[in-house]
Amino acid sequence: AASTPSTRCAGSRSPLNITPLYALSGLLLTDSVVFSVTSCVTVVLLQCSEQYFFLILDSFNDLYTSYVIFCILLMSVVILVISIFNVEFYAVVPSIPCSRLALIGKIIHPQQVIHSVAHAVMGMLVAWCAAVMTKGKFQFLAVPCTPSESLDDAVPQMCLNEHHLFFLLSGAFMGYSYSLLYLINNMNYLPFPVIQQYKYLRFRRSLPLLVKHTCVESLYFVRNFCVTYYFFGYIPKVWISTTMDLHIDSKLHPLDTLTGLLDLSLFYHAWLCGVFLLITWYIVFLCFALYNTTSDPTFAEETDQCLPKILNSNPPLIIKFLALQDLMLLSQYSPVRRQEVFSLSQPGGHPHNWTAISRECLSLLSDLTQRLIAQQEAAAANGRANDVSSLTYQAESEKISLRSNIAPRASMSSLVKSSLMPLKTSPGSDVGSPFSSPALSCKMGILDVNSPWHGSVQSSQVTRRGPKLWTSGSGRDSSTALEAVQPRVIYTWLQNKQQQNALISSQHPEASIQAVFSDAQMHIWALEGLSHLVAASFTEDQFGVVQTTLPAILNTLLTLQEVVDRHFKLPHVSSKPPRISGSLVDTSYKTLRFALRASLKTALYRITTVFGEHLNAVQVSTEHKKRLQQFLEYKE
Amino acid sequence: LIVNSSPPKLTSEDMIAAFSQAVDWAGCTIRAFAWHPHTSKFAVALLDDSIRVYNSNSATIPSLKHRLQRNVAAMAWKPLCASILAVACQSCVLVWHLDPTSLSTRPSSGCAQVLSYPGHSPVTSLAWAPSGEVLLSASPVNTAMLVWDVSTENCVQLQWFGGGGVTYLAWSPDGSKVLAAAPSAVFRVWEAQMWTCERWPTIKGRCQTGCWSPDGSRLLFTVLGASVIYSLSFSEYRGEMQGQVGGSKTASIVADLSETTFETLYGEERIGGEIHSMVWDPTGERLAVIIRGKKEVLQTVIAVFRTRNSPVFELLPCGFLRGECGAQPQLIAFHPCFKKGALLTVCWSTGKISHIPFFFMSAHVPCTSSSPSPVIASTSVCE
Repeated sequence: AASTPSTRCAGSRSPLNITPLYALSGLLLTDSVVFSVTSCVTVVLLQCSEQYFFLILDSFNDLYTSYVIFCILLMSVVILVISIFNVEFYAVVPSIPCSRLALIGKIIHPQQVIHSVAHAVMGMLVAWCAAVMTKGKFQFLAVPCTPSESLDDAVPQMCLNEHHLFFLLSGAFMGYSYSLLYLINNMNYLPFPVIQQYKYLRFRRSLPLLVKHTCVESLYFVRNFCVTYYFFGYIPKVWISTTMDLHIDSKLHPLDTLTGLLDLSLFYHAWLCGVFLLITWYIVFLCFALYNTTSDPTFAEETDQCLPKILNSNPPLIIKFLALQDLMLLSQYSPVRRQEVFSLSQPGGHPHNWTAISRECLSLLSDLTQRLIAQQEAAAANGRANDVSSLTYQAESEKISLRSNIAPRASMSSLVKSSLMPLKTSPGSDVGSPFSSPALSCKMGILDVNSPWHGSVQSSQVTRRGPKLWTSGSGRDSSTALEAVQPRVIYTWLQNKQQQNALISSQHPEASIQAVFSDAQMHIWALEGLSHLVAASFTEDQFGVVQTTLPAILNTLLTLQEVVDRHFKLPHVSSKPPRISGSLVDTSYKTLRFALRASLKTALYRITTVFGEHLNAVQVSTEHKKRLQQFLEYKE
Repeated sequence: LIVNSSPPKLTSEDMIAAFSQAVDWAGCTIRAFAWHPHTSKFAVALLDDSIRVYNSNSATIPSLKHRLQRNVAAMAWKPLCASILAVACQSCVLVWHLDPTSLSTRPSSGCAQVLSYPGHSPVTSLAWAPSGEVLLSASPVNTAMLVWDVSTENCVQLQWFGGGGVTYLAWSPDGSKVLAAAPSAVFRVWEAQMWTCERWPTIKGRCQTGCWSPDGSRLLFTVLGASVIYSLSFSEYRGEMQGQVGGSKTASIVADLSETTFETLYGEERIGGEIHSMVWDPTGERLAVIIRGKKEVLQTVIAVFRTRNSPVFELLPCGFLRGECGAQPQLIAFHPCFKKGALLTVCWSTGKISHIPFFFMSAHVPCTSSSPSPVIASTSVCE
């Protein structure tokens, strides 16, 4: 039935809904802040009540009530600032540092410095709130000194309360550590979940893990802080006491000694403060992540953008992600919206919606194909360059042949092969590397030794982690191949030069592989959405809009599959990073390439299963026709 | 007042034997069976913890062995794929990535991917999503049902409280709902879009087995110790009702298979008893049920029914299947895409596997696979 055409979206009756970014951010921010504040207030009150249940009696004390209210306000400000940082720093595509230089660059980047400083300050504020609310010996920075025996000092002097200072500094340290971990673990990366669930259910299901994780993490932070304070604690102590004209109480034990630090009650309070701080910040982070990555089934009515338009324009990345996720969902679950996609415009009769969607998805996939081909060519060129350097060396040497050097993969000799193949690395070796799984993250989860995935996924060809052929720092590896060679002075000089250059700008192979596939989630959804729509079109497409685009779709998919299969033959690509179970931090970006390969194959099978023998009538190249036949016979 | 004494601890093997769809999992040669969804290929799990894959197009019979592959309770082939097989083992789920064109008879252990989760053992049931994206695994001791993304080895735990773990999983062929039976007298039906569930307490005992109609609008299930088949209907999935399973208020009884006497040419026959497992063919026209007779008095037979789901649900007796002397049916399965009607595969306690065809014209075509019809063989149908 032809209803009045919507002014919002040309060529469709009802627009496919996506809320614009500013509304999205505002909505998310408000929602997450409200939720966080509520939960944090609850946590605060719980903490107070569990420590001092006679607080209820004390609540009639005016001064204390005002303190509590002030603390709650301050906490809300802290949470607001944290939320703002989350919004500013989030990304749907992880930024993976490919070399040591890049990682260092990331840490000293001004943005990151601001992030760390701000978090340290926030940490200090939270610790101050906690110190004030626990009362007792932590409450004030300046306390009257213990009166001395002598009658000379008539006026009581103000001394520095070292416990309070310890608390504040521990808060700052925890804030800074949180910020550092945020950077290292790519916590700004928002992963999209495997299955759709309602936000509240997802939140509730993550809570137990969150609590356990923060308790353990706080323990490590306090321990690290105690060590730091032991060595450097005197600096802030001296600075504060001189600036605020406070004396250091000589009667009490100084805290930056071993006896001072072995105070269990101090440790317990610091740990509890850390748990409180981390729980509130992680809840804020969790709320933000959940709200941003869960697509609401009940979309807002007010919208001025629709799906085909979004896909064709150049919106912010998260909007594109959400749009593709929406496409994936509508293609599977929504017959009504599928009809929209297959519909023709009035009065022209053009399939605008389908054309826009299919063109965008295919261009995404072709773009990925080009990127992979470029990387493969770079890898091949890298091998050829090594060959050149070894050729020049051969001119100097008289004994060895070219074959003993680092040879390009294509012309690997039996000598090199035999020396390289038996080299196996244990699963633990990856844990040590600072890139793919930083040492800190090991503490956060249990390294799953039950599934040591150091083999490939391909059927009988198991490729174990061989030594790095393209990258440097492989002086070790090349040396094993060169044992048969008598080193010459010039050669050793060349080697040292190479190693020096390599150390500075070495490309970590696993990281660079992950970087190529870092936005593969988009492609996975595009594949799923496209293949579901094509499969559904077999029965639901009344006007035949999909049929005309079938050759292009099949060509793109088959080409991409070929390129991905070739890519997986490169070193390191087919080996999986070790799986850490029980961690709060999501590392799914490390295995996106496997998900991409699997969903590419499933997408092709979906189309061939539904269309069956009818696919023989589609115009594709003979090469692709042969591959399609393999798919039809389930031999791929 | 009835005081509940704590039940005796079951070993893993006892648990698997109690909850398996095989009639005599512990003692029989064949422990699990799975047809490939698109080709004429099936996998059989044997008593010696090995799995054999038989293919009608090939003479090679690959035998799959792995050190973690022990006490196989169930197997499932991945849909929309050439040959990926998920195996429910004692301590983990093994996912074999086989090469469909390989002629090797012993694929290496490196082809198997290990999916393990602490506390999730033994795994007694598996179900792939019909769209091939996720794999569900269930264990009776773990209250969480795991949703695996196999390629990245990530899993999401769907947890609930009360009722114990999950013993049996069945995904509706249209991909919209999942039946999850628990060891206690309750089962859950999950909708697979937003993963919310409906809880169905049964009166008499735990849900023993269940199967879905092809369009996911009807669930037939049985309860342990009872001889009746219950039916539960669901509102037709339109895709606009996210978060709702849409089940009707109560289940109704559609068939009673308690002991009855039949007059046959060879005299009187007493047939009937408890229902052990049930399968529905992909066209929705034939239902096969294994009826366990009481001890040695009655034999275990297979009852076949003619069914129809639309416009009204109909269940009519068609006949009984009995094997050779001394052979008890162990496992039953329908071929996923038999073009000439329905093909029922029966694994017998003697170690024989027979395929019984039912030829009829159906309105539904289960799938448009281009594979030729499989080999037809053996035992007769007695009416």
